[in-house]
Amino acid sequence: MNKIVNPEPLFNDEFVGEPPAKRVLGHVQAKREQGAAVAGIYCGYAPMELIHAMNIVPAVLCAFSNAQIEAAEEHLPANLCPLIKSSYGFVIRDTCPFYAVSDVVIAETTCDGKKKMFELMSHIRPLYVMDLPQVPEEKEAREEWKSMILKVQSFMEKHTGKNTTEEKIEASIKDTNRKNALMRKIFGFAAMQPPVVSWAELYDVIFIAMAAKGEEINPRLEDIIVKLEKRVESGYFHGDLKSPRVMVTGCPVGGDALKIFKIVEEMGGVVVALDSCTGMKAFMDDISEDTGDPVGAIAERYLRIPCSCMTPNSRRLTTMDKIIENFKPDAVVDFVLHACHSYNIESYKVGEHVKNKHNIPFLKVVTDYSDGDVEQIKTRVQALFESI
Amino acid sequence: MISAGIDIGSRTIKLVLHDGADIISSEVRPNSYNAIDICREMLKDVSYDGIVSTGYGRHLFSRHFNCEAISEIKAFTLGAFHTIPDCRTILDIGGQDTKAISIDEKGKISKFEMNDKCAAGTGKFLEIMANALEFTMDEFIESASSAEKGEPINSMCTVFAESEVISLIGRGALRDEVSLGIHHAIVKRSVSLMKRVSIRDSIVFVGGVANNRCVRSLIEKDLGTKVSVPENPQIIGALGCALHKFKTAADSI
Repeated sequence: MNKIVNPEPLFNDEFVGEPPAKRVLGHVQAKREQGAAVAGIYCGYAPMELIHAMNIVPAVLCAFSNAQIEAAEEHLPANLCPLIKSSYGFVIRDTCPFYAVSDVVIAETTCDGKKKMFELMSHIRPLYVMDLPQVPEEKEAREEWKSMILKVQSFMEKHTGKNTTEEKIEASIKDTNRKNALMRKIFGFAAMQPPVVSWAELYDVIFIAMAAKGEEINPRLEDIIVKLEKRVESGYFHGDLKSPRVMVTGCPVGGDALKIFKIVEEMGGVVVALDSCTGMKAFMDDISEDTGDPVGAIAERYLRIPCSCMTPNSRRLTTMDKIIENFKPDAVVDFVLHACHSYNIESYKVGEHVKNKHNIPFLKVVTDYSDGDVEQIKTRVQALFESI
Repeated sequence: MISAGIDIGSRTIKLVLHDGADIISSEVRPNSYNAIDICREMLKDVSYDGIVSTGYGRHLFSRHFNCEAISEIKAFTLGAFHTIPDCRTILDIGGQDTKAISIDEKGKISKFEMNDKCAAGTGKFLEIMANALEFTMDEFIESASSAEKGEPINSMCTVFAESEVISLIGRGALRDEVSLGIHHAIVKRSVSLMKRVSIRDSIVFVGGVANNRCVRSLIEKDLGTKVSVPENPQIIGALGCALHKFKTAADSI
């Protein structure tokens, strides 16, 4: 059978071939013109359903460019995580188009570096730092996080003049659940053996699905599913039949950090599972519906996010178990950004778990946004594949 | 059939020709900015039926010579396991990389660790330190071996370690004790890398730095066990490539 090349692209809009941020910026600007306010967000803990319910459009702020780091290092220490340095560089140089249109910024106390960096930028735009409970199993955690969500609601009301009701928040929860179900269906095409969708295509879809409401994006997601089903019928697959299937877990991957996905492909692998906050994480879980306490339900769901800032974060391992079962990776790469202590330390647990429970080769890659270590990473990834 | 293996490292290029039973010939040349020209020069007068590349220049070579490229980890594993079949742990210290590999009784890689992109604890680190003390490499090893105790070097970063060495000299530290301290530093780092992959006998030490008898004896002292160094430890990666070629040739028959 001849391999089918050039399948129909998943999107057929004016942003095809452009970085996915362009499509999202188009969306944010269109919503703004229709009267929505804009909330800049930095992290998966920002309560999207509340933001949507208030007629505010969330804009994921820039954090993935190496070019911004030099400026950031005028104020920040060099041995800090590149994601924090890059975020800060974008803000002080005013080079992030999403930040430029944000009326408010929502931040969280996920790690020390971010927490202290937010202090340095809090005078530029109205910014609210949500105090995130980091032992999510404690019974007080839910109420604490719920009260933070209510506080960020008052903050957004004050600075944008927008408001909402419990009914609207409940509707927003249902909207997210419908969107997430479609997204999981799309991820299922990467779980196929061989996969029929590439990491770059998934990344494109995730980028827009992160910012848009279900009611805005679901028709496009359904269209994408139809296209993917056609690919399956036509016999199309991504990569090579022998390509090792790779799950990439760990720190967020975007922009210059995409080098890890590119290296995996260049070394002959296919990335089938993107287990990070810029990957599948936001879509893997649902929010309880019709509980009579929509904000409490949102709080519960967000506290289930398996981020390494949580302790003991055993959910990271149980979530990985499910992903490994469904996506059947041949190898797991743990992507750790320099100076991200929580992911770096947790990597030991993750590595032992992957090797002992699943008997899959594991590789930890500690890196930044520069390309100075690309050759070294290639050697490791190649050796990882050779050990399958 | 004669197969060739070429290992394009950061400091040297190694070539091995193998006939399936023995090494027919081997060559080590310094590398430079024009690796491919040097490779062409080395291959000009030799004949072989197939070639496999490794080392940081492996992909460049494989594009120019249309051949397979394997990782250094695989190449050194194949070469070391062939040379010393009971080897279970491999330490390779090259010009810019240090690798620790643990393998099973069939020679399959079970775990590997590699230093990050910086030159800490590599051959380049030793060269720079020898230079800071105004020694040739041979004098540097001689000096370290003659010292009773070593001055502690705390920085593993090559740049910081160099300033530390200069400060030590400024404080009147003995040159030989500084030499030994530098050797201790590289050994400490290599041993910790090996511990990450779990150390099992027998241990084989390869790569250019394996020629440094002071590093070898300090590792043995630290681990309390014997470390084997093949006769020509620098060419083990190139040998692994040549052996790999035989394996793939046999598979395709």
